[in-house]
Amino acid sequence: MARHVIEVRGLTKTYSPHRAPVRALDRVSFTVDEGQFVTLVGPSGGGKSTLLLILAGLVESTTGEVWVDGEQVRGPVPEKIGIVFQDATLLPWKTALANVEFPLDLRHVPRGVRRERALALLEMVGLQDFADRYPHELSGGMRQRVAIARGLVQDPRIVLMDEPFGALDEQTRTKMGQELLRIWEKTRKTIFFITHSLTEAIYLSDVVLVMSPRPGRILDVMPVDLPRPRRFEMMGSEAFGQARNRIWKLITEGEG
Amino acid sequence: MQRTALAGQLLFVGAVLAGWEAVSQWRWVDPSLLPPFSAVIQILWVFLRDGAFLADLQVTGVEVLTAFVIAAPLAISTGFLLGEKLHWGEVVNPVIHVVLAVPQSIFLPIFILAFGIGFLEKVIFGITHAYFVIVVNTVAAVRAIPAPLVVAARSFGATPVQIYTRIYLPAMLPLVVTGLRLGMIFNIIGVLLAEMYASRHGIGRLIFSWGEAFQIRELLAGILLVSVATIALNEVMRLWEARVGRWRSATLGS
Amino acid sequence: MSRTQAVRIGGLAAALLAWEGVSRLGWISPIILASPSAVLAAIRADGGVFLQAFEVTLAEIAIAIALAWSLGIGVGVAAGSLPRLGATAGPLLSSLFAIPLIILYPLFVAWVGMGPASKILFGAASGFFPIALNALSGVRCLDPRFALVARGMGATTGQIFFKVLLPLALPAIISGLRVGTSLIIIGVVVTEMLASVGGVGFLISYHRTMFNTGHVYLGIFLALLAALLVNRGLSHLEERFGRWRILEQTRA
Repeated sequence: MARHVIEVRGLTKTYSPHRAPVRALDRVSFTVDEGQFVTLVGPSGGGKSTLLLILAGLVESTTGEVWVDGEQVRGPVPEKIGIVFQDATLLPWKTALANVEFPLDLRHVPRGVRRERALALLEMVGLQDFADRYPHELSGGMRQRVAIARGLVQDPRIVLMDEPFGALDEQTRTKMGQELLRIWEKTRKTIFFITHSLTEAIYLSDVVLVMSPRPGRILDVMPVDLPRPRRFEMMGSEAFGQARNRIWKLITEGEG
Repeated sequence: MQRTALAGQLLFVGAVLAGWEAVSQWRWVDPSLLPPFSAVIQILWVFLRDGAFLADLQVTGVEVLTAFVIAAPLAISTGFLLGEKLHWGEVVNPVIHVVLAVPQSIFLPIFILAFGIGFLEKVIFGITHAYFVIVVNTVAAVRAIPAPLVVAARSFGATPVQIYTRIYLPAMLPLVVTGLRLGMIFNIIGVLLAEMYASRHGIGRLIFSWGEAFQIRELLAGILLVSVATIALNEVMRLWEARVGRWRSATLGS
Repeated sequence: MSRTQAVRIGGLAAALLAWEGVSRLGWISPIILASPSAVLAAIRADGGVFLQAFEVTLAEIAIAIALAWSLGIGVGVAAGSLPRLGATAGPLLSSLFAIPLIILYPLFVAWVGMGPASKILFGAASGFFPIALNALSGVRCLDPRFALVARGMGATTGQIFFKVLLPLALPAIISGLRVGTSLIIIGVVVTEMLASVGGVGFLISYHRTMFNTGHVYLGIFLALLAALLVNRGLSHLEERFGRWRILEQTRA
């Protein structure tokens, strides 16, 4: 029986930078099972990134709690959760290899061990020949692959991804999606993926969580009944189109 | 492109020196107003083996170094606090920019009234020249730290100390080094001016008294030496700047 | 806006009062720190002399500004628009900028004498470098697509230069003028202090040797006033001609 590796209960987040408080998240609850690929989809400017930062323990919620792997999250848990951010956030003064090593370096893992591990991950994302390149010498897609390798380097059970392909062109984006699915099938990590692209959400996931515009609420938890491995042609199938229409309707009606 | 540019610069400098030698040798200008380059080099060669001259040079060098060694850490820590504590920065930054807009040289008479005309006054005057430009650059360096990198590092479990040493430091270094380079130049200007205005020792004092005594050959030798030394120092610091900032110019370029 | 102005004026008044108070308390010797009343006394005693000297200084500054602005903008814009010249002249100018120009002043005095000419020469030289360097980088950093688009609309080379490139480079040029001009003003006064027979700087040095601290402060204030006024004026110009830059940034 699958067990809940992420459990979110009644999460609310209110920002009050000035006098008027802004509610970013409203009573968000859901669970993610071990090994699942779950996508959170919703309009830009909603509370998606806030939710991810709370899951990662980087931002505190106003109310509610997050449990990961049977423990409540109260701060960053890098050994359990790896993160891939939207704009790669590679350190520009470090090579691709040193960037992948960086999280291990922070925890004083011996040089030989971390180098071996980082090289293995660079190989998995197909960048073994670019280990000594600096971020500015890599294409946008390559930078994101380095960021994915870095997110996996501590061997976390969960990987959180915040619109990791948002800044890429359509073709690269589709290829990166396929690449990610290949990596996921190889590592069987639990992936929690954020996007505003309905196509990307359906194509990648086992389950799609649909979020409303601000304040973010979970409008629906929608299982995707497409066989795996996913293939590009599936995007034209009837089941795919129906799923797409359903999410579209939910989001636009949510706008009121 | 870069090599032809360098060749062009050397050609230009060579032409200026050759022209200088020629107009003086052929007496197109009065050699007592502009002695030939070769005569100036000769006397400079004599100076560089003259103990008294070297002692004056040393006085200036020690003043400049002392001022810099005090000013740099002081200014970097001020700049860091102003950059980190935004609300302080908002109050103090405009004041610093006004101070920076007015060259500090004008306050020299007050420094003399307060600290006399000795070593202390030169060092303090040098510090005030270096201080503000380093502060302003450090504030800019703190503000230029990309926030997403800090968030990412925290998510990998970086401790606050690690965030300072692994993210802040390398991200800030290029701009801070720019500040240090400019601070060093301003510092040298301050010390030399203070020596020229009122002093008993130092290369600035020598240059000023050669001018008063109309010893143009000696004067030009002094000017040449100081110019070459400051240009060399500036270039070395520029190399350092380029080294720590390699990733930065590259990111901007792409 | 008016509130910050009120705060500023209040702060200034408080500073003046504190200054007067501190000097009255006698913690700091009146030879180092003149009280506001001592400066007022200096104005009453020698205000006329200072005003005359200020006129001399302002005339020197005006000529130095005319020289430095025209030469600085001319050289900078020329070197910026000709890529090969710019690649050679740019690094050369910024290397030369490192030379502490003040050591050239004794040479200027030997060549053209202790009168206004040596001050004008020095002021113009110290303003030239920042002005030329800013103009150079301002013209050089322009996106070449602007010229292409203008050419596509049928603009002549002259039109491209005066109607497209120059206005775009103007904010950078003006910020160079701002830095350069305060260097000119202070440069003129400081060289008057070093060796001269007239001007505000001469009076500052003269009264320093007499320990007339009130007079010294008065002279410094006059120089600061000139520098701050010019700086303010150029800041306004910078804002006016640079407004599109700020708008562009807020939109992005």
